[in-house]
Amino acid sequence: MNFFAPFCIPFIIGAAVMFLTLAGKWATWLWQLPHADKMRILRGLPTRHTLAAIWEVICESLLHRRIFRINPLLGYMHMSLAFGWFLLIAVGWIETVAYLGFRYVPLQAHVFFKYFSTGLAHKPVFDFLMDLLLLFVLSGVALAWFKRLRSRMLGLRRTTKHVWGDRLALSALWFIFPARLVAESTTCALYGGGSFLTGSLGEWLSAHVGLLPLMNLESAAWWFYSSCLGIFFVALPFSRYMHIFTEIPLIFLRHYGLRSGEKESSFDHFQIEACSRCGICIDPCQLQSVLNVHTVQSVYFLRDRRYGMLRRETADDCLMCGRCAERCPVGIDLNTLRLNSRDKIRNLPDERRYGYLTGLDRSSGEGKVGYFAGCMTLLTPRTLQAMERIFEAAGEEVWWADREGGVCCGRPLKLSGETDAARRMMHYNTELFRKHGITTLVTSCPICLKVFREDYDLKGVEILHHSEYILRLIRSGRICPEHAATRFTYHDPCELGRGSGIYDEPRAVIEAIGELLEPASTRENALCCGSSVANTAISDDGQLRIARSVCDELEATGAEVIVTACPLCKKALGRGTKEPVRDLAEIVAESLPRG
Amino acid sequence: MKKRIIVIGGGVAGMQTALRLAEQGAAVLLVEKESELGGKLRHWHVLFPSFTPASEVLTELRRRINASDIEVLTGAEAVALAPKSVTLRDGRELACDSVVLCSGFTLFDASIKEEYGYGIYDNVFTSVDLERMFREGRVAKADGTRPRRIAFLHCVGSRDEKVCQQHCSKVCCITGVKQAMEIKRLFPEADVFNFYMDIRMFGPGYEEMYREAQQRYNIHFVRGRISEASPTIDGRVQIKAEDTLTGRPLRMSVDMLILLVGMRSNDDLAALAASAGLDRAPSGFMKPRDLFLDNVRSNVGGIFYAGAVSAPKSIGETLNEGIAAADAAARYAGL
Repeated sequence: MNFFAPFCIPFIIGAAVMFLTLAGKWATWLWQLPHADKMRILRGLPTRHTLAAIWEVICESLLHRRIFRINPLLGYMHMSLAFGWFLLIAVGWIETVAYLGFRYVPLQAHVFFKYFSTGLAHKPVFDFLMDLLLLFVLSGVALAWFKRLRSRMLGLRRTTKHVWGDRLALSALWFIFPARLVAESTTCALYGGGSFLTGSLGEWLSAHVGLLPLMNLESAAWWFYSSCLGIFFVALPFSRYMHIFTEIPLIFLRHYGLRSGEKESSFDHFQIEACSRCGICIDPCQLQSVLNVHTVQSVYFLRDRRYGMLRRETADDCLMCGRCAERCPVGIDLNTLRLNSRDKIRNLPDERRYGYLTGLDRSSGEGKVGYFAGCMTLLTPRTLQAMERIFEAAGEEVWWADREGGVCCGRPLKLSGETDAARRMMHYNTELFRKHGITTLVTSCPICLKVFREDYDLKGVEILHHSEYILRLIRSGRICPEHAATRFTYHDPCELGRGSGIYDEPRAVIEAIGELLEPASTRENALCCGSSVANTAISDDGQLRIARSVCDELEATGAEVIVTACPLCKKALGRGTKEPVRDLAEIVAESLPRG
Repeated sequence: MKKRIIVIGGGVAGMQTALRLAEQGAAVLLVEKESELGGKLRHWHVLFPSFTPASEVLTELRRRINASDIEVLTGAEAVALAPKSVTLRDGRELACDSVVLCSGFTLFDASIKEEYGYGIYDNVFTSVDLERMFREGRVAKADGTRPRRIAFLHCVGSRDEKVCQQHCSKVCCITGVKQAMEIKRLFPEADVFNFYMDIRMFGPGYEEMYREAQQRYNIHFVRGRISEASPTIDGRVQIKAEDTLTGRPLRMSVDMLILLVGMRSNDDLAALAASAGLDRAPSGFMKPRDLFLDNVRSNVGGIFYAGAVSAPKSIGETLNEGIAAADAAARYAGL
């Protein structure tokens, strides 16, 4: 049996280019991984991590479970294309085996089997199955077309603006399955076979089209189908569709413990090229929804970085609130990638700047519990006063790290990309904490909290946000705030909620004092106050507009007092509302019995 | 029949405008939100650069108003306006032939700059608080003792992007110099510091006054904004700043910290502007039709501006503008 026809050439070339490029990319990326990462992979391979990764590949790369959670119709669209195509290939393979037994068959014979199998006796079960799967995929293509017109119906207010390479690949992909339908139907029209889809269309064609035109149509249709595949395969490694083959190794590597860090590494390639530019990250971005900035969202950041056209303004214009990362169906570590891009652009430490760190110690008091106010709490002294009152009421002996002024925790510098300078701050503060022998470190600033927990080496010191610490004091009866009828609403600070996973403690504290009313966007979906230290490109007016939009939601709860647990959020929200904005510590201190 | 012109706001600008209009033969209705005329000048002690008592200016203006046939409506707030009518909060609609808006400004709320501790620490005051103390004749720390070291901070709520007040409030520099000199007269042995970004001495005699403050009064001027204030155990205020001329950070404890609060646009201007289709500047103040030849006219025919409703201004400038606006309004009404 001959398994070659001239129309197969575009497909064969396309597939060869694609597989060679893929192999080249993977090999380079893996080769360039740091030694430690390579060892992680080797050690992880024979463990249960591999099984877990396989399961995640099935759930996410094929079934797209996370997208279903965002919108069922959008999930179905992605699933029908990915899982449907996968089944077409897999069942097609079984079909060839069923027809020809176990023997070597070239790749194009599997793909264009309908064309080559006209001389064989039909197996209606496979005809039916293949038609059913084709219909499944076609329904996804139809939804994709529909999404271009009415993206809202699929849960997206805004969709990605694509570069021309993506548009080419996208058009090829959209035509692959309709082309396959026509090609297979013409073959069925000429030689019989097929089921409810290709068979019926074939019958209709043979009844309405003459034999000679039909033969020309068949040849043209198979050429078109093969060309669409060829174009798509050539474009795939260079376009958004690289995600198909990148997400799979990414899932495995993630299970083996590979992560992106504050410096760029080879692992970043796996994350960057795993982005399918689905655009789910666009809607949650407040720079987009409030300020009409449409060029800096994660999808565009990753695209620009991948093609080497990342500009500083794009890297800098981001609140790093994490709302997009929360939704990303591929689970890309968007903030870290942006951070290490900033590091590459800006990390130029000036040695002369740190002379003042030597021998500096302005701390006061003595105790096993240390309190670190942080720069922003020193600029919102009501919070500091409230903490003093709470410590006093609890009878806690406190070592005050920076009440008389201290050194920054380092996170603002780190977020701006000056990671080496940030390390100086971190080293200074670590030495200071160690010197005073504290066992607990309390801070009222979530920005400091996050860097203490993630970047400081503070073994033996328990690091607590003041919301956690205050809740402990209440639960152990060391302070007894009085419950009143005041209605509070709570704004989740990004660094505390999505950043550190602390959602329940501040809420429990508020409920111990009064009534808590939740705003429309809350917990993982909470809005950013707009004044994040991570965004060095935003204007003050932009910050204010975001703050106002957030305050509108908070005011809509009907609460008397807006509560937050971050000095920066407090300042930001205070600009956007006439309602009182208080730190958690303030409302606790106010509800402590007097005297 | 006499032409009727409504003046909104009974401060310095409104009183001067009303007086000039009455001179021109208009039937003037002066609408004031508060229960008496005088506006913010009522709370001021003496005026720069001559140390003239504010009450002297105010008494004379009030006397002239009483001597004229100007109709004064106090306790009445305008909520909407048009060239031929003004609507009051109680729903009354007053017809007229033209309107002059003289509703002035709002003082920046210093507690928004929480880092300076206003309303939190005992010895942090605003320039308005200090003026009140001067009027009451008793300037003292919260515990009643004499201050020995006083710091003034310029530009609180002015030229500050962080609180969305980008404009310069113009008069606080000279107010800071004036108040520092008054303090020095009361407490000659005290150390007085002025922390500033720029010193803008734009008026007649201001620069001379600034030099006198340094040479004769020995008042210290430090170029650098205070970054934060904190309380000390003995009830003083510790301030952190940078002396940007020497490039060194600086800390000092003071007995009193005076915040020179700026002028911002009134909150109700948005509603007033919307009701009549008036343009506002990005700062929030009303935007005159033209900054040179039509600087007391609005973009809507028949509505005019005088005083700080269109930008921060000194008392002298406001008095002049009252006359200019009155003349323009009278001409518009056909007088």
